[in-house]
Amino acid sequence: MYIDVRGNKTYAATGGKEFDPALPTVMFVHGSGLDHRSWALQTRWFAYNGYSVLAPDLPGHSLSEGDALESIEEMGAWLADFIRATGVDRVHAVGHSQGFLDLLELARLEPQLLKSITGVGTAGAIPVNPALIDAARDSAGNAAEMLLMWGFGPDAQYGISAVPGMQPIAIGRQIMAGNPLYEDLVACANYENGSAVAQAIEVPSQLILARKDRLTPVKAGMAFAEELNARVSVIERYGHMLPIEAPRQTLQKLRELIGGLELAAQGTQ
Amino acid sequence: MSRSSYLKPDTVALHSGYVPESDHGSRAVPIYQTTSYVFESVSEGSSLFNVEQGGHIYSRITNPTVAVLEQRIAALEGGSGAICTASGMSALFTTFITLCSAGDHLVSATQIYGSTATLLKHTIKRLGIDCTFVPINDEQALRNAIQPNTKMVFCESIGNPGLEIADIPGISAIAHEAGIPLVVDATFATPTLCRPIDHGADVVVHSVTKWMGGHGVAIGGAVVDGGQFDWEKSGRFPELTEPYAPFHGIRFWEEFGPSALVMKMRAESMRDVGAAMSPHNAFLILQGIETLNLRMKQHVDNAGKLLEWLQQQDAVTWTNYPDMESNPSHELAATLFPDGAGSMLCFGVVGGRAGGAAFIDSLQLASNLANVGDARTLVLHPGSTTHSRLTVDDMKAAGISEDMIRVSVGIEDIADIKADFKRGFGAALRVAGVA
Repeated sequence: MYIDVRGNKTYAATGGKEFDPALPTVMFVHGSGLDHRSWALQTRWFAYNGYSVLAPDLPGHSLSEGDALESIEEMGAWLADFIRATGVDRVHAVGHSQGFLDLLELARLEPQLLKSITGVGTAGAIPVNPALIDAARDSAGNAAEMLLMWGFGPDAQYGISAVPGMQPIAIGRQIMAGNPLYEDLVACANYENGSAVAQAIEVPSQLILARKDRLTPVKAGMAFAEELNARVSVIERYGHMLPIEAPRQTLQKLRELIGGLELAAQGTQ
Repeated sequence: MSRSSYLKPDTVALHSGYVPESDHGSRAVPIYQTTSYVFESVSEGSSLFNVEQGGHIYSRITNPTVAVLEQRIAALEGGSGAICTASGMSALFTTFITLCSAGDHLVSATQIYGSTATLLKHTIKRLGIDCTFVPINDEQALRNAIQPNTKMVFCESIGNPGLEIADIPGISAIAHEAGIPLVVDATFATPTLCRPIDHGADVVVHSVTKWMGGHGVAIGGAVVDGGQFDWEKSGRFPELTEPYAPFHGIRFWEEFGPSALVMKMRAESMRDVGAAMSPHNAFLILQGIETLNLRMKQHVDNAGKLLEWLQQQDAVTWTNYPDMESNPSHELAATLFPDGAGSMLCFGVVGGRAGGAAFIDSLQLASNLANVGDARTLVLHPGSTTHSRLTVDDMKAAGISEDMIRVSVGIEDIADIKADFKRGFGAALRVAGVA
C-alpha cells in the first residue's frame, strides 16, 4: 500500500493482505540499499496468520519517494512518523542489518511505539570499510557487487535459492544498484549510539544471527545481545542475508518471540 | 562471473543450484521423479499455496531437479531467475503469452526459426496477438513498426538458419526508448559465447535441447528473466503491475521486483498451460551443461576449420558463417561473440536442389535430421524440411535459398568430418555433371 509520510508517497508491503491497524502489527525494516522484498518470505506468513504487516521502503528506496535519509537517527525518527501515519499504536519491530540500527533509534526516540524488537543479521554497530563507501559513492552497482559477495553465505554463492528457479544475488544486485546505497552505508558507519540505547530498551528483544556472517560477524552480534539482554539464536550455514538465505529458520524464530508475546498478551486480557 | 554469481562460468556449469546436503549426500543432482510433495502439516500446505514460503507443491509448477537446472541456467546467463519448459517452443509460447494479451502486438525479426515464425504469424494471431516482421538490424523499420500496443521486440542472437547476427545493443536501445523489453532467443550461441543480458536484452529464451543439453537426448526449453526491465515505469504491463485476481490479487512487480516476470510465468503459464519439463530431462540436460564450455570451444574450433576447408572445395558454390570477413555481420560478430559465433554454418552445393539431396544422402558420419546442437555433426536441407511451410518469398526474406545446406558442426575429429563431406561432394558433382 502507499501512504503519505512527511508529504512523500511511501510504499509499505502488507504481505498480500489488506492492512488492518486493529490487528497485532509486525513492522519489517530493510537493510542498506535493499527494500521490502528482503522480507517476502516472512511478511506473507504473518499477514496470513492473524497479523497486520508493514514492510516500508525507506525514503528514496525502490517504490518510496523522497530523498534518502542521511543518518540512522533520522531513519529512527522517520519510522516513528511512518508508524503514526499508518494509525497503529504499537508494533513488533524487526530489522535486518542497518534496519535494526534504525529500530534502536526508534526505541530511543519513541519507545512507546514498540512491543518488541528483533535484529536479524546485525549488531549494535556496523562499521563499514571506507573502500566500500568510496565504491558506493562512485557506483551503487559496483558497491552492491562487493556487498553481495560478502553478504551471502556459501550456499547462496553456489546458486542455492529458497524459491525454486531464482538467483538471489542477481535480484539483490538489481535492487541495490538502484537505491541510495552510499547514503545508507555512510549512515551505518557513523552510528555510535547502539550501546547507549541498548541499556534503555525495556521491551522484549532478540537477535537472530548467522554463523557465516562476514559483514556483521556473529561475535559482534553475541556481544550486543548481552548488552541488550536479548534472547539470541545463531543459524548455522548461512550468511548476512538471513531473511533471504534462510527464510524458514528466520521466520520460525520470529514466530516464537512474537507469537509467544501475543499469546501471553491475550492471556492477560 | 555473471550478474548472478561470483563463480567462473566453468564452475557455475558444474555446481550452481545444488550442494550435496540431502540425507544421502548424493554428489550428482538427484532425479526427483515425483509428481507431488508431502506437506508437513495443513498449515505448511496452506503457506505454500499462499506463497508465504518457497517450496514445491506439484511438479507441473516446480520440481527440485528442474529447479537446479533453472538456477544454473539463470546463473550462466546472469539473470534473476529462470523457468524450464517442455521444449524451446513452449518457452517461446510462454514468453509471448505472458507479455502479450489479445489486442496486443509485437515486433519480430524476419530472420528466425521457421516454427517460431509460424507461431508468431499464425498461432498467436488466433489469440488476437499481432506480429510485425522487420529485417534484423533495420533500425528504422523497427522504430516504424512499434505501436502503442506493442509489448516486446523479439529476435534470435544468431538467426536460424541464415546465421544473421542481431545487434542486441542497438535493438535493445530502440526497444527501451519505446518502453518495451527485448526478448532474445539465444539457442545458437549459448551463454558460453554470448550473454544477451550483458548487452541489453531483458529476457533470454533457449531451446536447451540443442547445445546446452548437447547430446540429442532430451527436449527442453528455458526462459531467463534478466531482472533489469522496469515494468512499472513502462506503463504497458498491467498484468505485472496490477492485482492478479487468480492469485489473491498479487501484484508481481511490487512483490518480486527483478523477478516479477519469471514469477508470473511460474504462477500463470506453468500452472495453466502446464508445459513442464520432466525431471529426467532436466537431469540429462544438466549432464550436458556440465561440459558446455568445453564442448563449445571444440564446436567453434571445428566450425572454423570446416569453413576454411569448404571454401576450397569445387563443389561448394557459397559459404556463410557470421565470423567470415565477407559476412556483413563480421564486425558485429567479433564484438558480441569474441570467442566465436557458434558452430552453425551454411553453404550451397553444385547441382541445386538435386545436388544438395545427393550430397546429404551420401553422407555416413553426419546425420540428416531436424535438430542442431548435438555433439555429433548434423546436416539438413531447410527448404524441404524446417522451412518448407514458408512461401518462396518468405523463405527469401528469412535468408534461405533452395540450395542451402545447413550444418551443425559436431565435436568429432575434424579430419573425419571433412572425409565424410568429401564423399558427399563427389555425389553432388556427379549429379551436376561435373565429375
